Amino acid sequence: MSMRTVAGRVLLAGLAVLVAGCTSAGPGPVRTSGDPVAPTARAGVLRVLAGSELQDMAPVLEEARKATGVSVQFAWTGSLDGADAVSSGRADGKYDAVWFPSDHYLRLDDGGKAKLATESPVMVSPVAVGVRTSVLGDLGWGDGSTVTWAQVADAASAGKLSYGMADPTRSNSGFSALVAVASAFSGANSALTDADVQKASPSLKQFFAGQKLTSGSSGWLAQAYGRAEPGRIGALVNYESVLLSLNRTLPADAQLTVVRPTDGVVSADYPLALLASAGQSERESFQRLTAYLLKEDVQRRISETTLRRPVTPGVAPAAGLPADRRRELPFPGSKAVADGLLASYQNELRRPSRTVYVLDTSGSMSGGRLASLKSAMARLTGSDDSRGTTRFRDREEVTLISFASRVKSTKTHSVPARNSGAELASIDRDVQALGADGGTAVYSSLEEAYRVIDRQQSTAKDDRFTSIVLMTDGESNEGASADDFKAFYQGLPSSGRAVPVFPILFGDAAKGQLQGIADLTGGKLFDGTGSLEGAFEEIRGYQ
Amino acid sequence: MRRVGGVLAALVLLGGVLFAVLHRAPADDGGITVVKGVIGSEKREFFADPEVVAELKAQHLRVDAITTGSWQMADADLTGNDFAFPASLSPAEEIRAKRGVSGEPVRPFYSPLVVIAHAPVAEVLRSNGLAARAESGVWTFRMDQYLDAVRRDRNWSDLKDVAGHAELAGAVYVTTTDPATSSSGALHLAEVSYLANERRVVSDEAGVGRVKDLVRKVTAMQGDQKTSSDGPFKDFLSNVGSPLVLVYESQVAALTAQGRPTGDLVVLYPDTTVSSDHTMVGLTDNGKKLADLLRDDAKLRALAVRYGFRPQGDPGAFGTALNAKAGPVFAPDLSAAGIQQAPVPAVKVLNQLVDAAKGK
Repeated sequence: MSMRTVAGRVLLAGLAVLVAGCTSAGPGPVRTSGDPVAPTARAGVLRVLAGSELQDMAPVLEEARKATGVSVQFAWTGSLDGADAVSSGRADGKYDAVWFPSDHYLRLDDGGKAKLATESPVMVSPVAVGVRTSVLGDLGWGDGSTVTWAQVADAASAGKLSYGMADPTRSNSGFSALVAVASAFSGANSALTDADVQKASPSLKQFFAGQKLTSGSSGWLAQAYGRAEPGRIGALVNYESVLLSLNRTLPADAQLTVVRPTDGVVSADYPLALLASAGQSERESFQRLTAYLLKEDVQRRISETTLRRPVTPGVAPAAGLPADRRRELPFPGSKAVADGLLASYQNELRRPSRTVYVLDTSGSMSGGRLASLKSAMARLTGSDDSRGTTRFRDREEVTLISFASRVKSTKTHSVPARNSGAELASIDRDVQALGADGGTAVYSSLEEAYRVIDRQQSTAKDDRFTSIVLMTDGESNEGASADDFKAFYQGLPSSGRAVPVFPILFGDAAKGQLQGIADLTGGKLFDGTGSLEGAFEEIRGYQ
Repeated sequence: MRRVGGVLAALVLLGGVLFAVLHRAPADDGGITVVKGVIGSEKREFFADPEVVAELKAQHLRVDAITTGSWQMADADLTGNDFAFPASLSPAEEIRAKRGVSGEPVRPFYSPLVVIAHAPVAEVLRSNGLAARAESGVWTFRMDQYLDAVRRDRNWSDLKDVAGHAELAGAVYVTTTDPATSSSGALHLAEVSYLANERRVVSDEAGVGRVKDLVRKVTAMQGDQKTSSDGPFKDFLSNVGSPLVLVYESQVAALTAQGRPTGDLVVLYPDTTVSSDHTMVGLTDNGKKLADLLRDDAKLRALAVRYGFRPQGDPGAFGTALNAKAGPVFAPDLSAAGIQQAPVPAVKVLNQLVDAAKGK
């Protein structure tokens, strides 16, 4: 190949970039002056690891693309998992920026803090309690403007208020709420300490007695609220912005009144943060995008679109956002305190879980697939888990149902309230003993799982977060049909119908069948084809 | 052959344009030199101002800067940058020492640390002896009384006239940035340690020992702290932050100088404060050239006032520009307003204070 040909190809490739640049910059409004970084709009892509709450920024970011030439490519994850990805270096080179509701947790880790080159808050929303308006009246809380966390806890422990809240070990909204209630109940006047957490524990248990829904993401929590039977869930803990936005789609009788407890809130300020590993061109894109998002007219648009509060002075919040102030509760200043609080939540404070795994051990699972399943399940019995994100929790009841053409075995383990190591090892031994042979009877095995749960509930007469995980690598080809299962499910008492199935797509599984099961039972489909371990871990947020 | 040559020539021409558009190499349009650097977040808007851009362009420079915490800069890999522009002398000294930069550091402008509060909160402070208001309208924050309140674990509920302020609960403290990453947080420790050391600058380990409990306390009670001065200020302006926030005077003055509203925000000058000497470290000749321009160029000095800074070379400019504007009251002359300056400890001692504050 001659030098000239090479040069020609390089130039042609360059020309293609130029054309593509013009196209994607689009016919947007003429750039205003004042941004020194980019005199003209240029194509640029910013790869952003972000919290899924930011999906509501899509219209604003489309306008940003037209105005600045910067398009944002999102990858979604939970706030705390995202912080782990940044701290461990897994985000380096893969993403240019991160955008979570808060970087509180990330900042507690010196390694994580060093990974951020710069950050700029873009908008603000406090974590609040959305109370079903009819329930508000029953509780005698008036318009909700003077309610305290203590009142919420009293109502919860008296059985008068049931609510949904995201898993604090994964989601910033859940974590912020946990910090707020721990601060309120301990009477801490400044940042939480381990002693404060101890002091708050009895009240926290009362508060969490009312938590009837948990979730790895705030999006699914809102859906679950929407489909729950009337009266089952009286409130949702979430960002003020999410609650107000939800009201736009909820029927009149399900509308939520946003309560910002008067003893204090923890707010999210959505910092857009550039990773230190980002390249020069991405760093320019970042500066252009940040400058655009902080402009007065854009801040107004953000507030009206997302119902978050603006951060640029002189910009009024959207209509309906109350102006009265709340105490901003300090966030723990050390990772040890934060992780200790989270581990207490999982192992001690929250209602315990009843978790049933329906595991396909048919012939097609033999070899690598079964090995993947075993190693994914082994993660749930491990000890390397400082904040209690993944492993089976103290007080959790775990049932393993192994099936092929029929249910092969059903083993139930109760993880004790302390010294859980031996029981976790016993669960792992059962998992490692699984062998693969036979056909695939998905629906019949699920029916058996519901019957097991019914027996466990009527024997124990307890009140647990209850759910089923279904892992299969193929299509159901024996036993009950999809229609049979639907009829079975609809014939269950309401306590049974409240149990969701979280199917995991794996191997040659039939996606349509699994999606149908998730939709019917109010669960959620997880994709284990990329990483089975990842799917098992993610589901922990919903159990 | 001829035609092919023509196409190639056209492509070369287009390619050249393309290169200029996409890469804007140093010395692009008309001999403009791109000067790259890192700046504290409080100076972002100054460098983004079209008039600043135009004046620098007239001097054949274009600045490409990224914002970061001042102490983060001292630890960062600055390869490829022409300058670092932290918000105080200490990180600048650290950067100079680490990179063997010769020559005097240039301090084009400065800004004192102030406490901001909403007007009703300032009144609560005043009625409890924690703040005072002069006839000129200038507010001062009484540091000895404040530190005394911290030592004695005073809560807002212990103060009088707090009824009706739901946001005034918990311990009385001033929210700052993280002293390990941000210069305003570190300067706050300089101020606290000076007062706790009987108005003497802490200069040795014995001094650190005398003040370490208090600097730890004022830090630990805040819990997680933001890394850069932009964060707590934005939180305050969006009405969700803490009642008392330590910021640079320039952050507020910039808004006022530009006629932008700040609501009922009150500027309280700590009666013993520390000024941030925005100090430029030129890492290359181009960086040094920029530093000299910022110090000496009359237009750039005037523009610095628009962003709330006090130019070293023109002491009256700040008061002249701000006095006519509506908004919070500023002290045009700090010493005339009775505001004293605490000296900043040497870098090594300041680092020890930061470690003590962080419980390390």
